[in-house]
Amino acid sequence: MKLVWKLLRQHISIPQFLGFFFANLVGVVIILLGVQFYNDIQAVYNGEDSFMKADYLIVNKKIGAMNTIAGKSNAFTDGEIDEFKSQGFVEKLGAFTPSSFDVRASFNIEGFTNFSTDMFFESVPDEFVDVASDEWKYDEGSTDIPIILPKNYLDLYNFGYAQGKGLPKLSEGILGAMKLKVRIAGNGKQGDFDGKIVGFSSRLNTILVPESFMQWANKEYSNGISSKEPTRLIMEVDNPTDDAITSYLQDNNYETDEDKLDASKTTFMLRVIVSIVMAIGLVISILSFYILMLSVFLLVQKNSSKLENLLLIGYSPAKVSMPYQALTVGLNVLVLILALVILFAVRSIYLGMFESFFPDLVAPSVLPSIIVGVVLLIVVSIFNIIAVHNKVMSIWKRKD
Amino acid sequence: MEKIQLKHTLPNVFMARADIHSDIWLQEVEFEKDKLYLVEANSGTGKSSLCSFIYGYRQDYQGEILFDEQSTRNFSVKQWVDIRKKHFSLLWQELRMFPELTAMENVEIKNKLTGMMGFQKKKTIVEWFEQLGIADKMDSKMGKMSFGQQQRVALIRSLCQPFDFIFVDEPISHLDDTNSEIMGRLLTAEAKRQGAGIIATSIGKHIELNYDKVFRL
Repeated sequence: MKLVWKLLRQHISIPQFLGFFFANLVGVVIILLGVQFYNDIQAVYNGEDSFMKADYLIVNKKIGAMNTIAGKSNAFTDGEIDEFKSQGFVEKLGAFTPSSFDVRASFNIEGFTNFSTDMFFESVPDEFVDVASDEWKYDEGSTDIPIILPKNYLDLYNFGYAQGKGLPKLSEGILGAMKLKVRIAGNGKQGDFDGKIVGFSSRLNTILVPESFMQWANKEYSNGISSKEPTRLIMEVDNPTDDAITSYLQDNNYETDEDKLDASKTTFMLRVIVSIVMAIGLVISILSFYILMLSVFLLVQKNSSKLENLLLIGYSPAKVSMPYQALTVGLNVLVLILALVILFAVRSIYLGMFESFFPDLVAPSVLPSIIVGVVLLIVVSIFNIIAVHNKVMSIWKRKD
Repeated sequence: MEKIQLKHTLPNVFMARADIHSDIWLQEVEFEKDKLYLVEANSGTGKSSLCSFIYGYRQDYQGEILFDEQSTRNFSVKQWVDIRKKHFSLLWQELRMFPELTAMENVEIKNKLTGMMGFQKKKTIVEWFEQLGIADKMDSKMGKMSFGQQQRVALIRSLCQPFDFIFVDEPISHLDDTNSEIMGRLLTAEAKRQGAGIIATSIGKHIELNYDKVFRL
């Protein structure tokens, strides 16, 4: 093969291949950077609430003075929910299920204080909760319940209560390691449970438990007083900038937290911009792919008599194609490696900037961009291999 | 492979011609392994076409060409590669050498195709170079050599593979009688060693061998 390569490397144009190399490098870097930047920025937006994606909206009915006086319920009826679901902008819709039993939680910080408070639980369908599924589940008969608390509660304690009483401040991490004693009563029964705080949410002003627990507990301890109809809905929309959402909510006298809708709009716009940038990267890559193909075709053309002679003295088309295939695939691999190096370098710069704004930020994995890069490499390489093979076959068939 | 058969074969370009008087075109011809054939021709009677049809790199003919009773019309790429590697050797009239490589490299690129260490021993190849009087040219670039010298290298290359038939298309067009004679000796010796048939062509001066049959194309 050494001699074959010595023959076939004749007429290789270094400038052409350098041109391809840098053009493709720019394209691949833009694509990978787009993917990575989007992931990272997504983490920044969702970072304040890792349990709820930014594009989930929580909807409730407006509570006005008239409602209270008229005794009108602020719960959603089944008909209203069905109508809501049928709206074009709704991707997923879920209801909050309230607890219909008494909950009393106590919380003991050894040697300092002992809280005890009445409270309530709510649940949403598990698909809306972004916690590892093995953490977010309840097995019947177990006394452990995973709980998500509103972040406000922690702030109230840390900046209000603990400050005033000289108690130690608690971090999310410390609380996560502690157990909340939960006593549930109703229907003439009572039970003790250990609440395990799996996280804090700034989006949800409620105490969230897994839906499976809620269903079981409501059946077991329900006193049959409270209504089963939900008062709040959670939904995922395909496009938060859609005006139809705002007008539908207004028309039906529903409300949602406006700033969340804004945040959703921001991420949506970001997604659009990143998609455009990635599309540009893709176009550059495709063009560079053309440069490569043109140079390889030119090379095959210039060396066609050598290729033909090799085929005639008994070299198989596969063997003759191999050097050029290896050359193109090698270049692609080199481009990917260099692109990843550049990606990591650029990323470490912007992550440094992010960190000064969002100290808690956990940078997401780089795996998605590596996968995108590798998939791109494989697809482009397959095209290269097929193109070179076809070109050699046309020499075999003496079509040119 | 034991035999090559041509059945009513005719190049497409000759189709319009009415007056074809040939021992090969439009006839039934058989070439057997282990025998020596000479195909004599005038220019333009399709001598090189014959080689390219049998060697499988042109298909623009009518009739049939069969190897061991099997029609070659629909041979796959793989089959042809196998034939060129192990069954047929062809010394082209236009040589088809690589001018960028040295004489030795031109031989090696073929020799290494069959067998990791090469089909012929390096020592044998060097001996052939010596016998043909071009030992001093072994490391010269092919492009710098005269046609007659290149012809001799091409012969060496054509002997560096296993074959059942060897085709030599005007092998001595640029050689003097002494070299032609040496060439004939090397060719028959190697063909005999491999038990192969020789099919030589010429348009006048032909390589002197003990031909079993002479065709007029």
